[in-house]
Amino acid sequence: MQPRIAGSSGRRIRPLTGAFAMAAATVALCLVSMLYGGGDIPVSAAFDYLVGDPLRRADPHLAMVMTSLRFPRTAVALCTGIALGLAGCLLQSVTRNPLAETGLLGVNAGAALAVVAGITLLSTEAAPAVLAFALCGAFAASGLVLLIAGGGARMSPLRLVLAGVALTATFRGLSSYLLLSDAATYDRYRFWVLGSLSGVTLEQLGWVLPALLIGVGVAALLVRPLGALSLGDDVAAGLGHRPGTTRVVTAVAVTLLTGAAVALCGPIGFLGLLAPYVARAFTGGGLGGRLLLSAVAGATIMLAADVAARLVIRPYEAPVSVLLAVIGGPALVVIVRTRRLLTLRVPGGAA
Amino acid sequence: MRPHPGTVVIRYRRFSVLLRPRPLAVGIGLLGAVAAACALSVAVGNGETTGFTAVQALWGGGEPVAGRIVHVLRVPRFVAGLVAGAALGIAGCLIQTLARNRLATPDLVGVNDGATVAVLLSVVGGTAGAVGAWWAGPVGAMAAAALVVAVAGGLGDTGYRVLVVGIGLSVAIDAVTELTLARQDIDAARGLFSWTLGYLNGRDYDVALPVGIGLAVLLPPALLAARTLRLLRFGDDTAAGLGAVPTRIRLGALGIAVLLAGLAVGVGGPIAFVAMIAPVLAQRLARESPVPVIVSGLLGGVLVTVADTLGRAFGTVEIPAGVITGILGGPFLLWVLLSRRG
Repeated sequence: MQPRIAGSSGRRIRPLTGAFAMAAATVALCLVSMLYGGGDIPVSAAFDYLVGDPLRRADPHLAMVMTSLRFPRTAVALCTGIALGLAGCLLQSVTRNPLAETGLLGVNAGAALAVVAGITLLSTEAAPAVLAFALCGAFAASGLVLLIAGGGARMSPLRLVLAGVALTATFRGLSSYLLLSDAATYDRYRFWVLGSLSGVTLEQLGWVLPALLIGVGVAALLVRPLGALSLGDDVAAGLGHRPGTTRVVTAVAVTLLTGAAVALCGPIGFLGLLAPYVARAFTGGGLGGRLLLSAVAGATIMLAADVAARLVIRPYEAPVSVLLAVIGGPALVVIVRTRRLLTLRVPGGAA
Repeated sequence: MRPHPGTVVIRYRRFSVLLRPRPLAVGIGLLGAVAAACALSVAVGNGETTGFTAVQALWGGGEPVAGRIVHVLRVPRFVAGLVAGAALGIAGCLIQTLARNRLATPDLVGVNDGATVAVLLSVVGGTAGAVGAWWAGPVGAMAAAALVVAVAGGLGDTGYRVLVVGIGLSVAIDAVTELTLARQDIDAARGLFSWTLGYLNGRDYDVALPVGIGLAVLLPPALLAARTLRLLRFGDDTAAGLGAVPTRIRLGALGIAVLLAGLAVGVGGPIAFVAMIAPVLAQRLARESPVPVIVSGLLGGVLVTVADTLGRAFGTVEIPAGVITGILGGPFLLWVLLSRRG
């Protein structure tokens, strides 16, 4: 079935216009993210620093805030937003399920289990260690899901989804068990699970950057095979693509993108669900356009949520996932209410 | 006319009943499983009243202390788990059929999060102790579901709009819960955390009774809804041609499912996975039945009570039923998945 919005009411915004508007919003938000923040630095000072005022550049405190706090944060928000938006769009397309979100392949639950187990067993809470646990857990969990879903038979969307759901439940149960038996770990975990971008460094971004770049590259290569796959396995095979291989490669790309994002800023599943819907509000047809718009939408929303997280309860910080939910929940409702949903179903999932 | 294979027609003058032997046999077998689960649940626990003595005390045999432990602590807890599981199983069956999507569970329409927030408020409000008032769960669940349907402005195509709106709103509600948990002091937060995992500790007839009544009242309409939901599988146009009103059926089925799930969550917290796995298993066991409501319900009850018993059986620390269903339910679903051809 060709995914498209059937008979949407009203005038649709042109895809290019939407893309430019969103790209402009992203750039503006990057600027805002550099200008505003916690602490007592006036906006004008930050602005002067950005435009290269030598007096401001000489101020060591200001330079420290701008280069080692705000810039890494903005860069990470941009990267994770792009990653989650792309991953969400890929996953909804490959599973043909509009309810799929990026935690579906067990990435978030695996990362959480690894973090919990790491803190409990190795009793270390340092940020780089937690990041490493999350990254390993995410990749291991998703690899296991793929192995089980693809084992033996041809991997169907339903197998992929069910294997992901099953392992997610197991991982979540195991981490709950560990959390129940250790109060100190729970105390650390309840803050990690909220997700935050505060305290990320460029060094940490550098660790996961290879995964992100490979993920984006693979996503770009997947546009044609995945688009063909949405016409059905037989048609795709007739066009010279391999459905099974395409699914595996897509799932690997989703894992790389989501795993990197989760390691950097905690388990944020919702953005991967929301961004494809925003993209679909602007464009209907081709997968390439939707992927691009999803990535841009993801970056925009993530930046907006992170800026809001810094500003709403100054001088404290709100967790970014709460802001994402508060901004994104109503946004999703508006999108769903104003446009007819595409009604893709899991083939064979019907009772 | 010959009946469809796998069915038996019983005729008596003008009346006739279509029976499906396999689902019927599965149902009877599951009743046996419920009895076994009851004996097991009574026999397992801390203290000295275990094993055969406990089962004996069920009928008034043995020492009076054992009788009191069994009848005041264990049987009520078993009953609470049974009704909660049954309600979850039926709700899951209805919603999966409604959305034709195995990922669709009652918590997608915000039931779990609504119930959790309500219980959280009743605890933070500070009148009902660490586990909160029992009625807070169902009330919160209903409120959340009503909000979701109202905001969605109806069900939309094949009920998808309400599910997506439900995800959006429940993420927003959930974020508030997690924020509140992160701001509470660590002891209160841990108490609430174990509730959010799905825990039957200290649940008795006071809680089980309203759910039981709800189950008894809602089961007939659930069966009726399942009957008409079957028609929708042929597509809305065909169903309308056969005299069904698709939107009304969907709204009705969703309402019943939400009520049942809300009651269940009020009893035992959001017990993971039962609403999803019970219908899948039921479908496999009772092959000919297109919408196996009763089998799903029985399976849900058995799953929850056995999980609760297992949680008490090992070690000194009780493990919440929801943790057990999560840990064991995952591999079980995988086994179901892998043993299926292709």
